[in-house]
Amino acid sequence: MSATDIVGILVTTFILGSIYGLVAIGMTLIYGTLRILDMSQGSMVMIGSFVGWGILVVAGWNPVVAILFAFVATFLLGTFTQLVSVQPLMKRRNAIDFEMITFITTFAVAIVFTNLALEIFGPQQRNVTFVIAGGINVYNGVNLPYQSLAMAIVSIVLMAGLGVFLARTRWGMAIRAVAQDLDAARLMGVPVGKLYPLTMGLASALAGIAGVFLGGLYFASPNAGDQPLLIALIVVIFGGLGSLPGTVYAAYAIGFIQATAEVLVGTTWALPILYGVILLVLIVRPQGLMGKPSEARL
Amino acid sequence: MISRRLFPSMTRARWAAVAVLVVLVAAFPLFYKNQYILTVIVTGLVLLVLNISWNFVLGVAGVWNFGQLAIYALGGYGAGILMLHTPLPPWLAVLGGGVIAAVISILLAFPTLRLYGIYTSLLTFAFAEIVQYVILNDGSGLTGGSYGFPTVPGLYSSLSPDASMSAYYWTILGVVVVSTAALAATGRSHLGIAIRAVRDAPAYTAARGVSPLRYRVIAFAISGFLAGIAGALYISFNQSISPSAMGLTPMSIDVTMLVIGGLGTVFGPLIGTALLTIVQTALVDHPGIELTILGTFLLIVVVFVPGGLVGLIARTYHRVGAWAAEDEQAPAEETAEGQPAGAGTAGAGAAGKGTAGADEVEAPVPRREPT
Repeated sequence: MSATDIVGILVTTFILGSIYGLVAIGMTLIYGTLRILDMSQGSMVMIGSFVGWGILVVAGWNPVVAILFAFVATFLLGTFTQLVSVQPLMKRRNAIDFEMITFITTFAVAIVFTNLALEIFGPQQRNVTFVIAGGINVYNGVNLPYQSLAMAIVSIVLMAGLGVFLARTRWGMAIRAVAQDLDAARLMGVPVGKLYPLTMGLASALAGIAGVFLGGLYFASPNAGDQPLLIALIVVIFGGLGSLPGTVYAAYAIGFIQATAEVLVGTTWALPILYGVILLVLIVRPQGLMGKPSEARL
Repeated sequence: MISRRLFPSMTRARWAAVAVLVVLVAAFPLFYKNQYILTVIVTGLVLLVLNISWNFVLGVAGVWNFGQLAIYALGGYGAGILMLHTPLPPWLAVLGGGVIAAVISILLAFPTLRLYGIYTSLLTFAFAEIVQYVILNDGSGLTGGSYGFPTVPGLYSSLSPDASMSAYYWTILGVVVVSTAALAATGRSHLGIAIRAVRDAPAYTAARGVSPLRYRVIAFAISGFLAGIAGALYISFNQSISPSAMGLTPMSIDVTMLVIGGLGTVFGPLIGTALLTIVQTALVDHPGIELTILGTFLLIVVVFVPGGLVGLIARTYHRVGAWAAEDEQAPAEETAEGQPAGAGTAGAGAAGKGTAGADEVEAPVPRREPT
């Protein structure tokens, strides 16, 4: 492996890790707050990529508008998803199969969104072209396009923004309070009923923006959300479900493993290698990098 | 009498009803010769065997095993390799596919032992994805990679197409009947009670001396064997199998079938598979609309009809039964003792337990000597 390869891997890690982090951080936020694994996040990525395609290619507006539109659209759809697939089940929250039921309902929503997109847009892949041209020659022919750099930076800013939102604002603190102790939060007057849709809308909106970026890197298509969903699942398990810093570290680690695998053994083997890694993680350290060991395990 | 102990809800009349129903279904290909419809039905029956096996581990044992389709495919590939590369008779190759799948399923059970819930699902799903990738990118020619397995003769290569269709129909129907009866009988046995107790109260059950590890491995072995048989029947009937038998789309359809029918119930897979096969066949030209409808259906059933259609039928039956008893007073013991599981669609033939949910473990947890 030459020095060029290594720089190339690091550049890819930086870009992929940032975008994966954006998808995964929403999943871990939802898990931390609602104790559900939201399988509709992948379809939010897909919807984001179609919004990006619609704004950038069809309407021909600029990327900032696309990001704003994706944010609003997926925020609303995420809130809607919570209201139809999770909120009606909240009274069964303490049942032993609550996680399983919500896993299935959010998955059902994902099936509906994906296939509506298939029916409306057809199965073909669409290029989402960004208007920022050019790039930096990082080292010996390794190119870092400005648009990828912009995506990574916006992703990092959004993740940091989420951190500030959770740490400093009233609503953010309410979300953390619910994640830590639901009953105590309720006693302090936190409006839990409003907070849940808000949390899921917020997480979906981050996934939607990541979708605009991933659409730019790859394509917009009805199945564009499948792989990001699987990778986000790997990232959140690797980082420890519910731990935000763990998720960010894990996103870069997974991005690094994927980039290395692509350079060393080829693109088709990247995902199976990630699955191999996650198999090992689950066997050796099931709670992930920074998760807390759960008493509910067998 | 053993049938009395294993199927306490089965009266002689109910046995007769089940027998008549099975004979009627079995006689179907004698009168009906449309090859397309028969192919759809046989494919549906193969899927039903897979769903019965998956229902056992997912619904009855409560283990989130999302690797079942990989086990199923491995059973199919295993049987195919046995058919092509060994002199074994085809029916032994089908059994061999089941055994291979059971062994792999047991091996898959061990790493899940420390995990629960979504963690189990992710581990098993990761396993399934790896299996699919390995087969897709297999360059050795053993599995045929993404082109699918080389053509195999199947079980009934010596028969005419019409006769072999009927033969497959009866074979797979036989497997469905036997496995449904066996798993229904398991429901009241020591094994079935222990497996459901581990699902509903793992800590308590373990404290009573029932090893959760042991019963999880047994559940994986049973369901893996049946899934492997399903895969082997699939490759025999279609004369090939390809990696597209696994993956996210077939898995979501199977989950929908199980949940709509009623997860963890005896007749849930039957009703769910039948219903969804009909919907799929009717909408075969509109895959997008078909899955949109299935997804909406799934959501509605999970939110509003806990326990699936079997649960709904059982509750209705119960209510009607209670209402009739109130009216007449006389046959009170019959209805009050009677069935939570009078699955109406399958005739009056309810076997053993049938309602989903935690109310099943009414029998005491079997006691073990502490080890």
